Amino acid sequence: MAYLDKKARQIFLWEFVQAFFLSMRYFFAPKMTLNYPYEKSPLSPRFRGEHALRRYANGEERCIACKLCEAICPAQCIVIEAEPRDDGSRRTTRYDIDMTKCIYCGYCQEACPVDAIVEGPNLEFATETREELFYDKAKLLANGDRWERAIAKNIELDAPYR
Amino acid sequence: MGVLIHFFTTLPVYFGLDPMGYAWAWTISQTLLIVVYAGLVMVSVAFWILADRKIWAAVQMRRGPNVVGAFGLLQTFADAMKFMFKEPIIPAAANKAIFLLAPIISATLAFAAWAVVPLDNGWVVADINVGVLYLFAISSLGVYGVIMGGWASNSKYGFLSALRSAAQMVSYEVSIGFVIVTVLVFAGSLNLSQIVRAQAHGWYVFSILFPMFVVMFISSLAETQRPPFDLLEAESELVAGFMVEYSSTPFLLYFLGEYMNIIMLCALMSIMFLGGWLPPVDIFPLNAVPGILWLLLKIIVMFFMVSMVKAFVPRYRYDQLMRLGWKVLLPLSMAWVVIAGAWVVFVRPALAHVFGG
Amino acid sequence: MARKLIIDGKEIEAEDTLTLLQACEQAGAEIPRFCYHERLSVAGNCRMCMVEWVGAPKPQVSCSLQVKDIFPNKDGTPAKINTNSPVAKKAREGVMEFLLINHPLDCPICDQGGECDLQDQAMGYGRANFHRFHENKRAVEDKYMGPLIKTAMNRCIQCTRCVRFATEVAGVPDLGATGRGEDMEITTYLEKAFSSELSGNVVDLCPVGALTSKPYSYNARPWELKHTESIDIMDAQGCNTRIDTRGRSVLRVLPRLNEEINEEWLHDKGRHIWDGLGRQRLDRPYVRKNGKLQAASWHDAFALIAAKAKATKPERMAAIVGDLAAAEEIKALKDLMTSLGVINLDCRQEGATLGGARPSYLFNTSIAGVEAADALLLIGCNPRWEAPVLNARIRKTWLAGALQVANLGLAVDLTYPAAELGTDIATLEALADGSHPFAEVLRNAKRPMLILGTGALARKDGAAVLYRAAKIARETGMIGPAGTAAEGGWNGFNVLHTAASRVAALDLGFVPGPEGRDVTGIIDGAQKGEIDFIYLLGADELPLETMGRPFVVYQGSHGDAGASYADVILPGSAFSEKDGLFANFEGRVQEAPRAVFPPGEAKEDWAILRALSEELKHPLPYDTLEALRRVLVAELPQYGALGTLPRHEGADPALWGALGAEGPLAIDVPLAAAIGDYYLTNAIARASLVMADCSRILLHDGQTKMAAE
Repeated sequence: MAYLDKKARQIFLWEFVQAFFLSMRYFFAPKMTLNYPYEKSPLSPRFRGEHALRRYANGEERCIACKLCEAICPAQCIVIEAEPRDDGSRRTTRYDIDMTKCIYCGYCQEACPVDAIVEGPNLEFATETREELFYDKAKLLANGDRWERAIAKNIELDAPYR
Repeated sequence: MGVLIHFFTTLPVYFGLDPMGYAWAWTISQTLLIVVYAGLVMVSVAFWILADRKIWAAVQMRRGPNVVGAFGLLQTFADAMKFMFKEPIIPAAANKAIFLLAPIISATLAFAAWAVVPLDNGWVVADINVGVLYLFAISSLGVYGVIMGGWASNSKYGFLSALRSAAQMVSYEVSIGFVIVTVLVFAGSLNLSQIVRAQAHGWYVFSILFPMFVVMFISSLAETQRPPFDLLEAESELVAGFMVEYSSTPFLLYFLGEYMNIIMLCALMSIMFLGGWLPPVDIFPLNAVPGILWLLLKIIVMFFMVSMVKAFVPRYRYDQLMRLGWKVLLPLSMAWVVIAGAWVVFVRPALAHVFGG
Repeated sequence: MARKLIIDGKEIEAEDTLTLLQACEQAGAEIPRFCYHERLSVAGNCRMCMVEWVGAPKPQVSCSLQVKDIFPNKDGTPAKINTNSPVAKKAREGVMEFLLINHPLDCPICDQGGECDLQDQAMGYGRANFHRFHENKRAVEDKYMGPLIKTAMNRCIQCTRCVRFATEVAGVPDLGATGRGEDMEITTYLEKAFSSELSGNVVDLCPVGALTSKPYSYNARPWELKHTESIDIMDAQGCNTRIDTRGRSVLRVLPRLNEEINEEWLHDKGRHIWDGLGRQRLDRPYVRKNGKLQAASWHDAFALIAAKAKATKPERMAAIVGDLAAAEEIKALKDLMTSLGVINLDCRQEGATLGGARPSYLFNTSIAGVEAADALLLIGCNPRWEAPVLNARIRKTWLAGALQVANLGLAVDLTYPAAELGTDIATLEALADGSHPFAEVLRNAKRPMLILGTGALARKDGAAVLYRAAKIARETGMIGPAGTAAEGGWNGFNVLHTAASRVAALDLGFVPGPEGRDVTGIIDGAQKGEIDFIYLLGADELPLETMGRPFVVYQGSHGDAGASYADVILPGSAFSEKDGLFANFEGRVQEAPRAVFPPGEAKEDWAILRALSEELKHPLPYDTLEALRRVLVAELPQYGALGTLPRHEGADPALWGALGAEGPLAIDVPLAAAIGDYYLTNAIARASLVMADCSRILLHDGQTKMAAE
C-alpha cells in the first residue's frame, strides 16, 4: 500500500504540487526587502563600519600613537608615523588606513587603549575612485567629528558587555 | 490583413495614381505587419523578463527590480542599454564570423517562430497549413545557434556546455514531437489556427491529453534551458555555459532569443492545450472579450508556471535530465500517441454515437 | 672554592665568588631582575630576584646573596634553592605589585613599550584583574638630562642602574638619588645635562621607560623595526652595533654585545648620528657649471671626469681617502689610481706619518688586553673623546687595580686620575731617555703600555715623535713576548686612530709612493698649480680652502666640506647603505652590512669606482663585491678572517727599531688635541641635528655658534 501510495504521489507529481503551493504562500508573504536608501535596518551598537578617529570633549585628539592598532591589524592596512608634538605629547604625524585592504575585523578598536580609533556605524562610504578610500588622518578625524554622537552612544550601549 | 492590403491598394488613388498591384500591396502590408509584430514581441520580452524576475523575487520574499521606472518597469530597458553600450569582446582565438553569426541565428529563429502563431481568429502573419511542422523545424534549428556559439568561442567551457545543451535540446525535442503528434491526431490538422478551432468544444488539456500537457510543459522547460534543466548555465555553479565568451550585444541577442523561445513555447502550449484565443466557456461576458486577450492571459498563466518552477524546483543532475527525457517522457509520449490514435479511431466515434455527435 | 647547591632539583657546583643569581643562571634557571646588572655593582634594591632557600624563614634576594654565604643543611647535604616554587613566585608577585603601585600604566605612550623589562615581567608575575591600591599614584617631576636622554620619572622604579652606570662605568657622577622611600628621585644635580660620551647607555640600562632616547622619542615601536648587525664607524674602535631601520630610514643604533671590543656599551656619537644619515645627502651626481653645482646624470659626470683625467698627466693627479671609507672602495680607488699611474695618494688627512709594517700603526695591546696593563702613558691623545668606549675600559682597569696613568698632552678629565705631564713635547724627550720620573714607573711596571694619539702624530715632527715613542716602548719592555696578554705575551705599543677607514687604508698602502706627495704636498701642490686633478673619496677634513682651484672630484655620501669644493660630485653610500669591511684600530676586520638602500641615485662606492674605471678605459678586474673581496683577501689575508685579532709576533728589532725618524722635536709647538669637537668629527655627525645639539649644549654651554665663526 505504501508502495502504491508512493508511486501514486510520483505519478501525480504530488511533491511539485505541494511545492507550488508552498511557493505561492511565500509569494504573497510580506517582503523582507528594505527600500534601502529610504529605509534602513537597525544596526547593532557593535556594528563595524567606517573608521573614525575620535577626540576628547575639549577637542584634543585621543590618538596617542601607541601603534597597537597598526601592530594588530591582520590586513596591515594601518600606517602610523609619530613624533613628539610641540607640547611634548606623543602624537601621530600620519595615520593612514587603506580602506581597500581593511577587512573590518575590529581588532584596531579592540586594541586601542584610548578608544581613539573606532569603527563607526557608517556603512555608506562608497567612493568614485580608489584613491578616496586611502584615508588619512584628516579624513579619519573628520569622520570622528561627524559621527561622534553615534559612536559615543554605541560605546555607551556596549559598555556593560565588556 | 485584408484591411491592410486594401489600404495599400487604394492608397495611390488618393494621390491621383493608379491602384497598386495586389502583389505589391501584399508585400508592403506583410512587411509592415511583420515589423510591427516583431517589434511588439521584442518590447514585450522586456516585460516578460521583468515579470520573471519579479515572480522569482516574490517567492524569495524580495521585491525584485523596483528602481528603474515605476515598479522597475524600465529595468530591462536599462539592462539592454547597458548591454548595448558595453564593449563587445571577441576572443582572439575565436572564429569571428561564426562567433558573431551564432547569436544572430538564435535571435532570428526565435523571431521567425512567431510567424505562425495565431493571436486571434485569423490574426496570424502566416496562416500556413504546416504551422506545426514549421515550428518544429525552427526549434530544431535553434540548436545551431547554441552549438555554433559554443564552438566558435574556442573555449573549452563554452564548447562542452554547447555540446551538453545540444544533447539536451535534441533529447527533449523528441518527446515534444510526440506530444505534438498526439495533438495533431486529436485536431486532425497541422495548422495552428485549425488546432485552436478544433478545441472549441473542449480544450485538450481537459481531455485524455492532460498527461501530454504535463510532458509538454516539462519538455518545454528543458528545451529552453530553463531551471530546473539549466545545466549548461547553472550560474551558481558553472560559468555562463556556451555564452561564457559573449558580451555586449551578442550576449543580448542570445538572451533575447532565450526569452522569446520561452514565451513562444508558452504560446504554443496555450494554443495546443488551452484553446488559444478561445474563452473557457462560450457564453456572453466571456466571449465578448477579444480572443487575443484570452491568449495573452493563457500565456501569462503558463509563463507564471514556468517562473514558479524556476523558484521552487531544484536543479537536476545531467544524468537525471537525460534519464527523464529518454526513459520517462519519451516512452510516455510514444505510448500516448498510440492511446490518442486509439481514442480517435475507436472511442471518439463511439462517444459521438452515444452522445449524438 | 666551589660549593655544591641544589638549584631546582639540579645539583651544581658554584664558585664562591659568584652571587646566588649567577649560580642560578649557571643551573639554567631564569631569574627576573630589575636592579641587578652584571657589569654594575650589586645594589639589591628591586627585590625582584627573590628565590626560595629551603629552610630559610624568608625568600632570599639572589643577586646580593653570595654563594659563599649559603651554608649546607645540618645533615651536610647541599642547600636547596628553588627559583620557581610558590614561595618565590608569591614573593615576586608581591614585589611586582609594589612596583606597579607607583608605576603609571602609560605603556601606550611609552617608548619602552614592547621592549620593557617591567612589561615583560608583569606578564609573568603581575596579578591580572586585581588591585588593592586605591590611593593616588606618586607623581615625580621629569628631570633634565641633556639633549640625548628623555625622562619620564613617574615610571622610575628606583633600580639605580643609571646612577651606578654614571658613577662606575662612565666615571661621571652626574646622576644620583635624592630623598628616601616614596620620595626617592633620580636626578642630575642642579638640572645639568648628563655630560658623558657614554650617556646613551643609561637608556639601554633602564629596565622601564623612565629614561628613553630623546632623538628617537615616539618615532617607532620595536616590533616594526628591522635589525641589522653592524659596526660603528664614528671612531676607529669598531664598536658592534645593531642598526634598527624601518622602510628606508635608520631609526636608531644600539650596541651589540662584544666582550673583546665594546662589552655592551656604545658611545653617544655612534648611537645618535642616525639622523645625520638622512640629512644633507648627496642623492644624485652634480657637475659644476659656471661656478655653480648643477644636477647631472651619471653619464655626464663620468664623461667630464674621463675627459679631465685624460687631459691631465698622472703626476699632476692625486687621490685622498676620507675617514669613513670602507676597505672595498679604498682598494678599488687604489687599483684605479695605480692603473692610471697616479702616485700622489694619501689617506692620512690629519697628516700623521704612519705606514709601513702593520704593528707600527695598530693598537697592539688590543682593547681587552688593556685590562692586563698596570702602567699607561698617553701621548697626545684624549681617549675619552677619541675612543670613549676604550676609555671606559681603561677606567674599568683603573678601578680594578693599580693602573698608573700619565697624560702627556692637554689636561682633560679622563674619568680616572692621571699624572698630568703637560703639553710640552720636550717631556717626551725626557721620557725617551729615561730621565723622567714616569719612565721609572713604566720600567718597573710588569705590563706597561703607551697610547700614541693623533694629536702627537699629526704634528710636523710626527716622525720624530713616533721614533721617541718606539724608543720608550723598546726600552721600558713594552714590546714583550709573542701572543696575547692571556697567553703571557705583551705588546704595549699602541697607536690610537680616530678614523674608521685609516687602518684599512694603511693596510692597503694608500700612502704616497716614492716621489709621491702626501696630503700636505697635494694641497700645497694644488695651491701652486702643480696638481690639477684631485679625487676625494669622502675626504672632508682637509684645508681645502687653501688649495686654489684644481679639478676636484668628490665621491661621498654627504654634502660637506669636500662636496662644496668639488667640480664633480658622485653620490656614494653611507656605511649603513653598503656592505663594507672596516678594520678597527686593533687591526680587527669587521663587516658592516647594508641596512637600508642608498637614497636617490646614490650607489655603492666600489661600484661607482668600477663604473668610472670603465669610462677611464682602465677597467678594474672585478665585477661583483665578492670578486672584489676575493682580490682584497688575496692581497691581505686578514680581511678574510673577520673579527679576529692580528697576532703579536714578539719583539722584532728590525721592525721596532726602524719606526719614525730620529729628528729634532719641535720644542716650541705644544701638544694639541686631535679632535676639536667630539660630536662633530665627520660628515655624518656634522649633518646630524642631534650631534649639533649635543655639541652646543654639552660642549659650548648652550651657546650657538655663529655662522660667521
